[in-house]
Amino acid sequence: METLIHYLEHILIYGFVLGAIYLLISLGFSLICGVLRIFHLGYAYIFPVTVYGAWMFMKELGWGLFPSLVGMVIIQFILAWIIYKGIVKRYLEREEIQLTGLLLVALIVEQVANYFYPVQEAVYLNTTLRDGTLTIGSVVIPWQLLLGGVVSIIMTGLFILFFLKTKEGMAVRAISQNIYTSEIVGINVEVLYVFIMMLVLLPVIIGMLLVAPIWNVEPGMGWLYQTTAILVAVLGGLGNIKGTILASFLIGITHAIMCFVLGEPRFMNLSALVLVMVILIIRPQGLARSESIW
Amino acid sequence: MVDIELKRERIVIRYKDKKWDWILEPRYWRNAILWTLVLLIFPAVCYFVSPGLINTMINANIYAAIAIPLGLMTIGTGRMNFGPNFYIGVGGYTAALLSIAYGWGPLMTLPFAIFFTLVSALIFSPLVIIARGLYYVLLTLLLPLVFLEVTFIYSDTFKGDTGLFGIVPLVDTGNAKINFLLVAYLSLAIMIGYLWVINKVLKSRYGLIMATINDDEDVAHGIGVNINKVKIISFVAAAGMIGVMGWFYAHYFSSFAGITYLPLTFMLKILLVMMIGGRAQIFGCVVGGYFVAFLETLLIRHLGPIQPIVFPVILMIFLFALPEGLFGIWRKRRYREYLPTLHVRR
Repeated sequence: METLIHYLEHILIYGFVLGAIYLLISLGFSLICGVLRIFHLGYAYIFPVTVYGAWMFMKELGWGLFPSLVGMVIIQFILAWIIYKGIVKRYLEREEIQLTGLLLVALIVEQVANYFYPVQEAVYLNTTLRDGTLTIGSVVIPWQLLLGGVVSIIMTGLFILFFLKTKEGMAVRAISQNIYTSEIVGINVEVLYVFIMMLVLLPVIIGMLLVAPIWNVEPGMGWLYQTTAILVAVLGGLGNIKGTILASFLIGITHAIMCFVLGEPRFMNLSALVLVMVILIIRPQGLARSESIW
Repeated sequence: MVDIELKRERIVIRYKDKKWDWILEPRYWRNAILWTLVLLIFPAVCYFVSPGLINTMINANIYAAIAIPLGLMTIGTGRMNFGPNFYIGVGGYTAALLSIAYGWGPLMTLPFAIFFTLVSALIFSPLVIIARGLYYVLLTLLLPLVFLEVTFIYSDTFKGDTGLFGIVPLVDTGNAKINFLLVAYLSLAIMIGYLWVINKVLKSRYGLIMATINDDEDVAHGIGVNINKVKIISFVAAAGMIGVMGWFYAHYFSSFAGITYLPLTFMLKILLVMMIGGRAQIFGCVVGGYFVAFLETLLIRHLGPIQPIVFPVILMIFLFALPEGLFGIWRKRRYREYLPTLHVRR
């Protein structure tokens, strides 16, 4: 009985924390899929730009952490605008070019980061909110992860409120359902597209800053996070926030079971991949209906 | 009884109720023969002038030999496969493991590499029926990543991080330069063989059925095409051909590491060969293969450490600047016969 409670505690707490962080990582991807109806294979570029962009300001210009983060966010916005105008919008009807172009963007960003700040550079962002660990029952968990989970829930709640309670949020939901009808009723689709491209950066940037002090930071990290984002978004149903929340915690719990029950952390990624493949084969549209973002 | 009839511009072969046409009109094969001759002479010239280029040519042939079946798979299934490197992994690991365990040479491992690739492709072939559009892209994208994870988890067997070593080489004459030359001709033979076979298939009635499926599955089904059969056959056959290139890699380098061929970056290179060459046009894949391989070599030689940045930037410019790829430049001045286009979203 004690063993069972021990396992349950670990699955619940780590399942929640990991799921919440996966949610931050994948919320942006899911929204891009839901609103823009594109498969953003260049999503991986956001992660290295977050860490290495801020590091560049700190190291090269000697800025403090906060101004560097502001500078990095501005760079992210400019990049998102360029990508939208140059690739997403231009090749909306030629998806093979769009997807390949987006993949190339992520590859170029990775190579640029690797050229200027290779792994030996030991890039480190001190974005720790609180040091140390917390013990809940038999579970020992780093404060940073736990706070990351809490931030993720608040962030997701704000996003949901935005989409459900504001006029702009309603317009975005309308676009996600039908672009042409949205245009007829006077919604400026173009402006909202750019707005969404920039809005989705926020959870990813916050998520990355939260995990940067405790997880591995290297130029190629974006691919791993992008894989997680794709898995979550597709498992949940492309572009559906409810599905994304459900899928994030499902994958978080799967990872927690692999680590703490089966004691095989090396099976974490494989288990999530297999889970997604099996669910997609049974239910190709994902866990939730994906005609709308909510 | 086989009946052969010689007409002005073609040979017509009839057997029972079947009929094959062999076109003799020079304008149809002159360019192909000229280019084949150039490719045949190239390694021999490089042998004396710049032996390093032989290796680049081998890479170009391999890229093209992966992209050509991928083009067939794309047209035959009406879907973009983003994970052809999975089959390179299956073919390569089969050859590598058998060669290391039993000391088998390339001729012994080849049938097994083909067999296991075909079996794995057959297992995943229902994907071309149940998944479409972006879901198909995703599932195919995930397959090599799953395989990569497996190579890491079962590192005792696959040596996921370091790779398998000690595979019997493809050719061993005792002279490294001659080995390279022979491997170049072998890679060229495989590439041209693929090109010839797949061109014949795409020009045949079967190719027309594939193009119909690529254009509109529902219409193809409506006019009586057994779309599932055609899709599965094109998927499995093309995967088998790609698997052979995995076998080639394993014996060519005498080592095989999943981390080289299974990540997204390798897949992206193959995708670019196909896209920059000519948007899944099989002759374009050859152009794309040579362009990508030689550009990479040129940049490595002249740019040094900044090459990894400049290389994808140049490829991106070509991707955006040439709507029909490099092959499209040539085709624009020619009779524009029907060629199937790529589809992702459907």
